[in-house]
Amino acid sequence: MRRRLRAGAVIAAAAAATALAGCGGDGASAGDGAVRVSAAASLRTAFTELGAALARDGGAAPAFSFAGSDVLAAQIRQGARPDVYAAADEALPSDLHRRGLLDPPRVFATNELVAAVPAERRDLRSLADLGRAGVTIAVGAPAVPVGAYTHTVLAHLPAAERSALQRNVRSTEPDVGGIVGKLTEGAVDAGFVYRSDVRASAGTLRAIPLPRAARPVIRYAAGVVRGAPRRAAAQRFLDALTGPAGRRALRAAGFGVPAR
Amino acid sequence: MRSGRAFRAALALALALALGFLLLPVVAIFVDTDPGTLLSALDDPSARDALRLSLECTLAALAIVVVVGTPAAYLLATRRFRGRATIATLLELPLVLPPAVAGIALLAALGPEGLLGGAVAGAGLRLVLSTAGVIVALTFVSAPFYLRQAQAAFAAVDPRWLDASRTLGAGELRTWLRVAVPAARPGLVTGLALAWGRAVGEFGATLMFAGSFRGVTQTVPLAIYERFSTDFTGALALSAVLVVVSAAVLLTAKLLAGPEPAAASRAAA
Amino acid sequence: MLRLEAATTLGALTLDVALEAPAGRCLALAGPSGAGKSTILRVAAGLLRPQRGHVALAGTVWLDTARGVDVPAEQRRCGFVFQDYALFGHLTAADNVAYALPRRGRRRDRRARAVALLDRFGVGGLADARPATLSGGERQRVAIARALALDPAVLLLDEPLSALDATTRGAAARELAAVLRDAGVPTLLVTHDFAEAALLGDEVAIVDRGAIVQRDTAAALAARPASAFVADFSGAVVLTGVAAPAADGLTRLALDGGGSVVSTDAATGPAAASVFPWEITLETARAASTGPPGGASARNHLDAEIVSLTEVGNRVRVGLLASQPLAAEITAGARRALDLRPGQRVVATWKAAATRLSAR
Repeated sequence: MRRRLRAGAVIAAAAAATALAGCGGDGASAGDGAVRVSAAASLRTAFTELGAALARDGGAAPAFSFAGSDVLAAQIRQGARPDVYAAADEALPSDLHRRGLLDPPRVFATNELVAAVPAERRDLRSLADLGRAGVTIAVGAPAVPVGAYTHTVLAHLPAAERSALQRNVRSTEPDVGGIVGKLTEGAVDAGFVYRSDVRASAGTLRAIPLPRAARPVIRYAAGVVRGAPRRAAAQRFLDALTGPAGRRALRAAGFGVPAR
Repeated sequence: MRSGRAFRAALALALALALGFLLLPVVAIFVDTDPGTLLSALDDPSARDALRLSLECTLAALAIVVVVGTPAAYLLATRRFRGRATIATLLELPLVLPPAVAGIALLAALGPEGLLGGAVAGAGLRLVLSTAGVIVALTFVSAPFYLRQAQAAFAAVDPRWLDASRTLGAGELRTWLRVAVPAARPGLVTGLALAWGRAVGEFGATLMFAGSFRGVTQTVPLAIYERFSTDFTGALALSAVLVVVSAAVLLTAKLLAGPEPAAASRAAA
Repeated sequence: MLRLEAATTLGALTLDVALEAPAGRCLALAGPSGAGKSTILRVAAGLLRPQRGHVALAGTVWLDTARGVDVPAEQRRCGFVFQDYALFGHLTAADNVAYALPRRGRRRDRRARAVALLDRFGVGGLADARPATLSGGERQRVAIARALALDPAVLLLDEPLSALDATTRGAAARELAAVLRDAGVPTLLVTHDFAEAALLGDEVAIVDRGAIVQRDTAAALAARPASAFVADFSGAVVLTGVAAPAADGLTRLALDGGGSVVSTDAATGPAAASVFPWEITLETARAASTGPPGGASARNHLDAEIVSLTEVGNRVRVGLLASQPLAAEITAGARRALDLRPGQRVVATWKAAATRLSAR
């Protein structure tokens, strides 16, 4: 009988200790914990740097989820609730806003679409070179912003140049990270990526600029997700993004920033 | 007694939970949209391309796995040699590799800048961005599933059957074909079913190594992912087809494997 | 004539044997488990290559480690009946037997030959059954049919009766003895049961820890064991005859050659009685001639002549000859007290309850 009492006391003590331990740290209660940000893949370098800067200033570093902007938007439509959504275009955030899922989005950066080739490929210098037989190109899938921008570019090219390039497309990647990966591994000869990606490659990639007439307007927009648990912290992140720290990180990564 | 009943109830509850959890997503695929929409989404030629590509590549990968893996598994199972345990563990390595890592590994080995990149190019092969590359990726990730089952199946064959076959005049090859393989058949078929499931669902390694291009390298999982954001119904439809095909494969495997050996001997007693 | 010499080390066992078996004769290898008996069979069949060895059948050399000759098992034509029979579970009985037939000719002819062979053993009706559905005795017969389908040059049997229950074993032993006689090839039979060896073997070789310690007929082994081990192992004396029910619920076995013994076991028809030598008491003729012993309960008495006396430690094996050979084991002291000598007539006495009967 005494043994059972003792065992019961030990179990009760252990349960209490576990409960106390669970109270500390990042508990599950709303409002606590790191801000969750769903961001376009091309923002990886810039946002990671911004997150580190915020942590240095004494805040909590945000938790980032990078993927194709279209997939992240689809997740939000299906019920996912990150705190902040940052896309590589304006159309996707606007669509979410129209559906009542996002606060009015703000433009926070601009980018430029370029054709990138491995730096050592001296034989690829222009779009015409990319249209030669045997050259392989990777682009984004039609639904992801980088792919949609590429489609716009191709539509503005002369027909012969356009079909030559389309003949050479060998992969439609779900996000720009995949295109960059293929380029670095030498799996493709060229890819349509953002200038910020070429910047991030630290010399491994070289950008071939596109004809001015064909260049699409690329504006990145972000907003606080409606129904997100950490609204105040989300707003603070967006403010930091459009503030000096954010602009610094974006410019360093090769993005443009809108005038104040 | 009371404790026995409570225990059995707990067992039943565990089974019900497992069943519910595993079946719910599958059922949801079919229930979320009506059958008409699902079927019409399959009219999309790119969907049909993805299905055809997935089937062709998976079949090719499994053919390679069976032809090369069955003798390899037999050797591992029936001969003792130094380093056997190490080799068996090494063959299981792809099992624990995340698919993305598998893709990177394949690139590092067979990509243009990879270890054997020169040899691959010299042989006139183009693996990256090609259907052949898809087959390579599927073979890499699914082979360990088959090898493990096949090895266990061959090891379970009574070695005296193999001895008997030799004394009855059959050489090593004939013994393998007429005694070992038929006796190991249930395990081999199970391994095949597992390998099929792994290959047909492969995403990360295929994307990294072979890319995603309609009709050439965009298998069903890649097609589903591309459709996910813009055409959810299309994604559902493809998923539904994949579920049906996989269920059919599993069922066929069960039938081909034959009755469980234990059941057969119980019937005799 | 099958000649075999082999020396090898397998784990804890060091094997070093040399034997030969003439055509048409069965050499039974008897001994405890782990002694190396099955290893000898595997060497003969070519399933195991010893470190040093020489195996030859008539003029053909199958194995000669010195010259690097090693004929593969599939070319040796050894009919091997495995312990537990090793029938292929995924094939029917007929297909199992047909497996051994040469692959020429039509499938239908091969099947007909297989069924005919199964018929010979009384299991022709089971041709399309899977081994899992057969009883132990039926499986044994299919296994023997399969081994014979090979038209073997040598027969190797590994514990052919041990997987059978006691009732089936007797009939199976009788059938097997007939098969061995008809086959006319050298036969090696492995068993851990000395009575089985005595019944089926023309000669018995006792194998202990990798060596053959004595080889002789069963009766001689029982009568003149070379060591205490052989004495303990070759225990049972086997007397053959015809059994019929007798009074008091006993069975009387009319011995081949004359005389009879009774047993508490039940049997009818051809049977064998076995009793351990240490259960047999010897009475000198003088004591026996004073009439039935007043208070002794033993029911079996056989007049016999002492053929040999072998000392084994503090015991003596007495080889006797009645209408059949048998052996008794008594203390050395008793031998001295009774002053037993070869040629002396004694009465061998033992209990009906100590007599085991088995159908034959």
